[in-house]
Amino acid sequence: MRLRKAGGYALVAVAALAFGFLSAAQLRAQLINPSNRVQRNQALVRSVQDLERVNAGDRRRIRGLRGEISGFEKAAAQRSDATHRVAGEVADLRDHAGLSPLHGPGVVVTLAGGRPGPDAEGRTAYLVNFQDVQDTVNLLYEGGAEAVAVNGRRLSPMSGFGGAGGAILIDQGPPLNSPFTVSAVGNRTQMEQLLGEPRSLGDLRRRQQRYGLRLDVAGLPDVRLPAFDASLQVKAARGS
Amino acid sequence: MVRSGRNALVVGLLTTVVAFVAVIQVRSQAEVVRSLEGQDNTSLAFLIDDLHRGNDRLAEQAAALSAQRDSLRAGGGTAGAALQEEADRLRVVNGLVPVHGPGVTITVDAPLTSTDLQDAINNLRGGGAEAVAIGDRRVITGSVLKQSGNAVTVDGVALHGPWSMTAIGDPVGLPAAAGLMTRDLRADPRVRSAAYQVSPDLQIRSTVGPRPFVYGSP
Repeated sequence: MRLRKAGGYALVAVAALAFGFLSAAQLRAQLINPSNRVQRNQALVRSVQDLERVNAGDRRRIRGLRGEISGFEKAAAQRSDATHRVAGEVADLRDHAGLSPLHGPGVVVTLAGGRPGPDAEGRTAYLVNFQDVQDTVNLLYEGGAEAVAVNGRRLSPMSGFGGAGGAILIDQGPPLNSPFTVSAVGNRTQMEQLLGEPRSLGDLRRRQQRYGLRLDVAGLPDVRLPAFDASLQVKAARGS
Repeated sequence: MVRSGRNALVVGLLTTVVAFVAVIQVRSQAEVVRSLEGQDNTSLAFLIDDLHRGNDRLAEQAAALSAQRDSLRAGGGTAGAALQEEADRLRVVNGLVPVHGPGVTITVDAPLTSTDLQDAINNLRGGGAEAVAIGDRRVITGSVLKQSGNAVTVDGVALHGPWSMTAIGDPVGLPAAAGLMTRDLRADPRVRSAAYQVSPDLQIRSTVGPRPFVYGSP
């Protein structure tokens, strides 16, 4: 008798379990389907990932083509003195445009977000934004930087910054995310002095105190910067 | 008999609730992970737009470099001319020569700060600016903009409002960028006036001086 009763409970439990699973799955499906938010989000994420892959592929192709062009130019430079002279000039101009890797003494500044604050400001001020990174870059140039890269992406004389929230867009993207590493080659002593002054990067320092943002500076005897690998086209402006 | 029926009902109800909660919990957690670290759909859509524009520019650059490589590979005595053209282009990039071409001039009467000017330069670069000047100062990425009282210094030279910003570059992108910028500026209570003018051939006469490497080695 007791055995039969236990078997009955087990049967009810199994049936109820199946009913519970089915009801929950059905309810979730009904809740999601009208807005399809999750699926839409996933589709957008896949688009972003595809575009980032294309971006990385184009940058690789640009690096390769610039290397090939440089090889052909070197070969052509050996054929005449005049071509040799112009090729030397082009190489120098390319170095200054950021189109060649550069190394030398310098500093590496690391910036990273802190903890969100409970106040209205604290909801975003704990993040490092594009203006913080650009302020750091400007300060490094003021201190005698000869070339700068952000998260391994070299800046050119025509570079532009943008972004939203904690993501930073430089030139043709893709967006960079915290932690940010700003590396500069140049007058190491002067850059370190300027970064060490309390008045420098005032807003960033205030938020460092308040929200625990990370702001580390390391002077190094040899900082290596890669070549600029994005678009540097001049289609409209003509030298006069 | 009634008691055992009630027990079965309780067991059934409890098991249903457990299964229901388990399914909801498991599926919710999976979706949180999949929602790409809290990025909402609007942010993702903006990101996609930025990436499309960036990738178009990269593809254009790759096509131009391919043509340049093919021309050099073909040889035929054109290398000297190609190199000269490249040198002229790079002098524009580095801000070493005066330039002319299609562009916009934005005039703003307001107490703008170095951050405002930096934002304006970023917006103009985003609109396809190939050369930019603030007042009579040429500006490149390495130019140092600093707030100094009511003035903004550009590479150590103090500038005051009313402000004039000139950009030469993309004849479609620059007017669009200038339109958005002036619209935003007019909404700023500090701004007395903001306007822009499009020109098919503007001039920027100012240049930046050469900056030879002292510390860096290519």
